[in-house]
Amino acid sequence: MNFGRWVAIYGPTYLTALGWTAVTAVGAACGALIWGCALLLIRLSAGRWGARGVDAYVQLFRNTPVLLPIYLIYFAFPMIGLPWPAVVCGGLALILQNAAYISEILRGSVNAIDRVQFDAARSIGLAPWSTFRKVVLPQVLVYSIPALGNQTVLLLKDTSLLSAISITELTMQAKLLTEQTGAAYEAFIVVALLYLLLVSGTEVLFRVTHRAVRWR
Amino acid sequence: MIVVRGLQKSFGTARVLRGIDLDIADGEVVALIGRSGCGKTTLLRCINFLEEYETGEIRLDGEDLWYRATPDGVRRRVSEVEARRMRQQMGIVFQQYNLFPHMTVLDNVLLGPRFAQRVSTAEAEALGRRLLARVGLEAKMSAYPAQLSGGQQQRVAIARALAMRPKVLLLDEITSALDPELVGEVEDVIRSLLSDRIMMVLVTHALGFAREVAHRIAYLAEGAIVELGSPADILDRPKDPGLKEFLRRVR
Amino acid sequence: MPPGSLALLAQGAAVSLLLAAVAIVGGTLLAVLLAALAFSRFAVVRAAYRVYVYVVRGTPLLVLALLVFYAMPALDLRTGPYIAGTLVLIVYTGALLAEVFRGGVLAIPRPQWESARSLGLPPLAMFRKIVAPLVTRYTLPPYVNVCVMTVKASSVLSIISVWELTLAAREIIERTFAVFTILGLAAAFYFVMCFGIDRLGRLFERHLALKGFAGERA
Repeated sequence: MNFGRWVAIYGPTYLTALGWTAVTAVGAACGALIWGCALLLIRLSAGRWGARGVDAYVQLFRNTPVLLPIYLIYFAFPMIGLPWPAVVCGGLALILQNAAYISEILRGSVNAIDRVQFDAARSIGLAPWSTFRKVVLPQVLVYSIPALGNQTVLLLKDTSLLSAISITELTMQAKLLTEQTGAAYEAFIVVALLYLLLVSGTEVLFRVTHRAVRWR
Repeated sequence: MIVVRGLQKSFGTARVLRGIDLDIADGEVVALIGRSGCGKTTLLRCINFLEEYETGEIRLDGEDLWYRATPDGVRRRVSEVEARRMRQQMGIVFQQYNLFPHMTVLDNVLLGPRFAQRVSTAEAEALGRRLLARVGLEAKMSAYPAQLSGGQQQRVAIARALAMRPKVLLLDEITSALDPELVGEVEDVIRSLLSDRIMMVLVTHALGFAREVAHRIAYLAEGAIVELGSPADILDRPKDPGLKEFLRRVR
Repeated sequence: MPPGSLALLAQGAAVSLLLAAVAIVGGTLLAVLLAALAFSRFAVVRAAYRVYVYVVRGTPLLVLALLVFYAMPALDLRTGPYIAGTLVLIVYTGALLAEVFRGGVLAIPRPQWESARSLGLPPLAMFRKIVAPLVTRYTLPPYVNVCVMTVKASSVLSIISVWELTLAAREIIERTFAVFTILGLAAAFYFVMCFGIDRLGRLFERHLALKGFAGERA
């Protein structure tokens, strides 16, 4: 079957799956950013034990594959009385995993901020929370945009693993189509192209945003 | 001797060298001076073919270097093998990052003789030690470059260049990146080479040193040699207004 | 904990490690070849390199694995998931390492290239004595990073029925429902492998640094 006809027939099916991929990716990315910022805050303000705790968290998620948290939440939550839908379970796993990397990215950016600014903020009498919100966070976020872009691309690709818990995103859709029609090449090549499109789009988005908010 | 005729080079649309003619006699030391961007470094790099050039000839002891005219009159680059052989007749020392950081000082000096000239290990080692002694660093022969000061590194770089027994030594601002107190030891080494009567071309900002060691100084501006003469002529009796201004600024 | 699980998980871990090892060795060889292409004189070859890296890095590993897995029967290669999985992992690791090596070559300061050329060193000597040692020292940390990524990536192959640690864990869970214990143990195995590789890498780095190379770079 040639590509033209394939795309014409299954286009809409792919689009639904694409929607799921995009939604989970965006949702997980936002969640991971928030949780990553929270981890950063804990590291900065909860003293030695806070920093150690965050370190342990980061090391745990950096040295284990993301499929494990996905399986853990998907299989365990119903058992402990939280029968959440698969999407939420998968999304939560992605958030927990990516927040570890994001907090490290942000930490690197914090270290890049001149110490002088902290002293300046303290001498104006800014309370710690305000210092964080008005001085630290904006700069950290802007410095981090390129690295965050990279991480988002990785997260986007990780959404393909949600097919292991039967979420109908792009990869799962390709598998289903292959089983229905036997046309493995067409099914997967279209999906690969769609991923490349999403990845490139994300990279462009971050590059444009970075250029727009940079001030030097 | 070295003969440069009609050398022209452009980087894209920018003409960096506009027809350089220069002769260097055996045993002569020529210093190239001028503002940044005047082409002096590019000229040096063309001589040992680190830069390609569009027009002109460079001859070393009568042999045409880098380009040959084929029978049908087309100008062609020489082969890589030939280029390597030609390069071995010249030694070059850069402003910094000369030495290979993962090898000892002695290994750095031996590299050329052993792997490019196929000198035996024993002979090469003897040569290396002699040269290191000559630049005053025999004691450091098992040290790594990171353990040496900038001046010491430059001296090893000179020894490494000399290990190839070159006919000409090319020196590209070799003291410009050094802390002032280290410059002297490097200049001493160059002075000691004068008795070897080896051809040298040095690009430098150190006019006092140039006056001392150079037989002739060439002042370049905008890709051409504007004035060429003895150190006394160039530095004490400059004719070109650009050169006068340059000397005034630098002093 | 269900009996025999620990042994099964340990075997799975061994398989994961073996898969990763084969992928790293194969990937390194492939990466050296690819990095050479990246610096080719011919623009077409360089473009081909960029396309390869773009596609492999822009597509999820799972999609690549499934593509190869489903495509192999079509090519009459009845070799099963292990070969498909290993192949994909080599392709993946190769692309990542090629970029690492390319970065390492670009990190060599220009005067060192020019010194080597000016000495008239023949290409083999230049590679053996200059390029390879310098690139090794520059790329050790990212190389170790990719090794760790490869171990984690091997878990994805469980989805195309390659039996390794993650699949072993999943099978046990589906039989016994001991989710927390089994996944906890599996995580522990992965942790030990990945963390171990990271530490070994640091030790090697320190060993190289002791030989005088103080990490000086452009």
